Amino acid sequence: MGAQPSSVESATGPLAGLRVIELCNELGQLAGKLLADMGAEVIKVEPPGGSSARAIGPFVKDIPGPDRSLNFWYHNTNKRSIVLDYAGNEFDAGILRGLIEGADIFLEDTEPGTLSPLQLDYAALQATNPGLIHCAITPFGQDGPWAHYRVSDLVALAAGGPMRMNGYNEEDVPGAPPIHGKGDQAYNTACHFATIGILVALYHRDTTGEGQYIDASMHEALSCTTEVGMAYWFYKRTNVLRQTGRHAAANRTDPWLYRAADGRGLLMFGIGRDNATWRQIKEWFQSEGFGRQFDEPRFDSPAARQPGRGSTESSEIVAEAKTFFEAHDAAFSYRGGQERGQSWGVVYSPDETLADPHWHDRGFFVTASGEDVEAPVLMPGAPYIFSATPWQLRRPAPKLGEHTAEILAELV
Amino acid sequence: MAALPLAGVRVCDLTWIIAGPTATRVLADFGAEVIRVEHEQAIDAIRLGRPIIGDAPTLNNSGFFNYFNRNKKSILLNARHPDGMTILKRLVAVSDVVVENFSNGVLESWGLGYEELKRIRPDIIYCSISGFGHSGRDKEFTTWGPTAQALSGLTFMSGLPGELSAGWGYSYMDHTAGYYGAMAVLMALHHRNRTGEGQYIDISQVEAGIVLNGPAILDYTVNGRRGRREGMPPGNHAWQPAVAPHNAYPCRGEDRWLALAVMNEAEWQALVRAMDEPEWALDERFATNECRLANQDELDRHIAAWTVECDEYELMGLLQAAGVRAAACQHAGDRFERDPQLAARDWWHHLPHPEIGDCEYDGVAPKLSASPGGLRSASPVLGEHTHEVLAGVLGMSDSEIDDALASGALM
Repeated sequence: MGAQPSSVESATGPLAGLRVIELCNELGQLAGKLLADMGAEVIKVEPPGGSSARAIGPFVKDIPGPDRSLNFWYHNTNKRSIVLDYAGNEFDAGILRGLIEGADIFLEDTEPGTLSPLQLDYAALQATNPGLIHCAITPFGQDGPWAHYRVSDLVALAAGGPMRMNGYNEEDVPGAPPIHGKGDQAYNTACHFATIGILVALYHRDTTGEGQYIDASMHEALSCTTEVGMAYWFYKRTNVLRQTGRHAAANRTDPWLYRAADGRGLLMFGIGRDNATWRQIKEWFQSEGFGRQFDEPRFDSPAARQPGRGSTESSEIVAEAKTFFEAHDAAFSYRGGQERGQSWGVVYSPDETLADPHWHDRGFFVTASGEDVEAPVLMPGAPYIFSATPWQLRRPAPKLGEHTAEILAELV
Repeated sequence: MAALPLAGVRVCDLTWIIAGPTATRVLADFGAEVIRVEHEQAIDAIRLGRPIIGDAPTLNNSGFFNYFNRNKKSILLNARHPDGMTILKRLVAVSDVVVENFSNGVLESWGLGYEELKRIRPDIIYCSISGFGHSGRDKEFTTWGPTAQALSGLTFMSGLPGELSAGWGYSYMDHTAGYYGAMAVLMALHHRNRTGEGQYIDISQVEAGIVLNGPAILDYTVNGRRGRREGMPPGNHAWQPAVAPHNAYPCRGEDRWLALAVMNEAEWQALVRAMDEPEWALDERFATNECRLANQDELDRHIAAWTVECDEYELMGLLQAAGVRAAACQHAGDRFERDPQLAARDWWHHLPHPEIGDCEYDGVAPKLSASPGGLRSASPVLGEHTHEVLAGVLGMSDSEIDDALASGALM
């Protein structure tokens, strides 16, 4: 194991003491971040031009540059960067092999077959490091007829199934295609599964000392992340229909999403299912001048109020709620609903989450810094709060090759 | 079958609906002994979830429940009955992990908060998944998957400009909060293996969603650019990297689509050749990525006029052979019946279920060479393992179990 990296606080996370060599572009970089943020020492090996994620915007002040990609900043926290021309230079390939020989985990997202000519495939690596956990993230897995097919996030979400479930009712947007949910969610899901695989392999190594190879297919990760879609096929041979702003379903369901007075979407996920919360909702609506008819006894039965059963009461409630939402700002209805036991939400844009003090109460947002940014800026922090071994931001994403000399010196 | 990697890890599973059961599905798939603790008076609503196999729900014939709860055991236990709580505490004492996804404060109301769990089992790993987490001013607020998707920005980022959000057509954040739960438990197990120390993990489903939007948030905090602006979200057009063409194009037949993304100039040239170099594609309005972005709607119309005559799988093969990123936009039936990749990798499985009969399942991802996960049993019928667990795991005698039954603790 190499010397501890200099000038940085020691890791508090549960993976402290583990060394990871990461050879990833945009597909696999989140997996490296998940390990690094929980204490692993992650060395990111980049080719001379840098990870291709460094060319993905948005960029600081919209000026492209290897150290200005906010995509890279976010997904490479707590890592160090070494530049090695491992594909073009046998000396550098040897350095990479040496790094992996001293590592616990090798994480890569290269196309199947490209590492064998460099003696960087699992068969070669495990000969000198039998405890190694080698995780290969690819679009479709290491074998099979699509193994060499190429994807983007959009293309992967289409093939894997999630995209087909997002979209619009024909009467809302005629001819609308299935919709690509943004944010690289195919890559994210691939990395969630890859990380699960690495952690299972780590448990296996803890108990047996044995390392192994992980074939992490994004396509498989996505194909088991479509909830009721797969179940309806298995049991009914039915493909669920995509709908505007709500779950795809075997049969059309009532809308959940309404446009509030301020233009934001208001998500109404059920309304007054039990009598206690119904009474609260009714009084609240009436205090705002809505739902006067709700006093009629026909609204007293939960069964009559239940949506999707075609009752006139249910239709009237939905129509009145729509009018109520359209007359108020989304946050007013959201908070008022939640305060009365309703799991309602507002459709916030990602940046609007910063304005909600609840997340600041929990210390969720953390600060990032980097090239051409004077003061630290906020970004999302921990996806989980650990009591004994907390998530931690020890260093920002590395500049290209920032730690090349430092890491080479440690190898000597 | 070789021992599964998490064999010997026992999980006291107090979860329901989807997020929690997804976390424990991952652990069960890799061999943990997951014991669902269920109560007839507070049944997991997913046991009634469609699709139902048969004429009416029986609590054991939901295909939805069966999908998320394979490889697990089920015991019936009333935690609000004093004898039931005594038995639950005995189960905690022999468990490595407790997972729950109740609303904030439910476990405390049972007298089974983390301090009590730790008193019973000092190295316990306690993982909670809730909407807003266990701290903060709105911790009493609650979520379902769609709520968390709306509040985290994920719903906003899925839609056509000027329209209501399309959002996610399923509870992506139930799946994903569950994945974070599984990762957290596995990390905590590694820490416990090294140090003997357990811990308490607090997961907010909304925070796990905000984590998936980092670059968009940095675009605001660094560049001051709001997500809510003209042209956002951009439908299937690319957000970042900004490239074109980038869309789903209609194909022959009803509701058939091909997803296609051209990421650079070489791929554009490959697409033009694959389309047989139509005259429009050689026009200077499409000569560079900047031009294609500026004329994207017209570009899309041209490509759609080509794809609409074709089968999307044939186009996928043609374009992939040419070096263009493209795929059929597959629904569940496509993946099961037409996807040669999933078939070639033995992705589909069968297991018998006493009420449902033969059940189909997807496989375990990712594939581990030395200690792969696997499928052992369909989802448990309600209380299927009560006697087995009470006798076999807790060492209760038949008369103790009879007494508990008579007292109403096991229902």
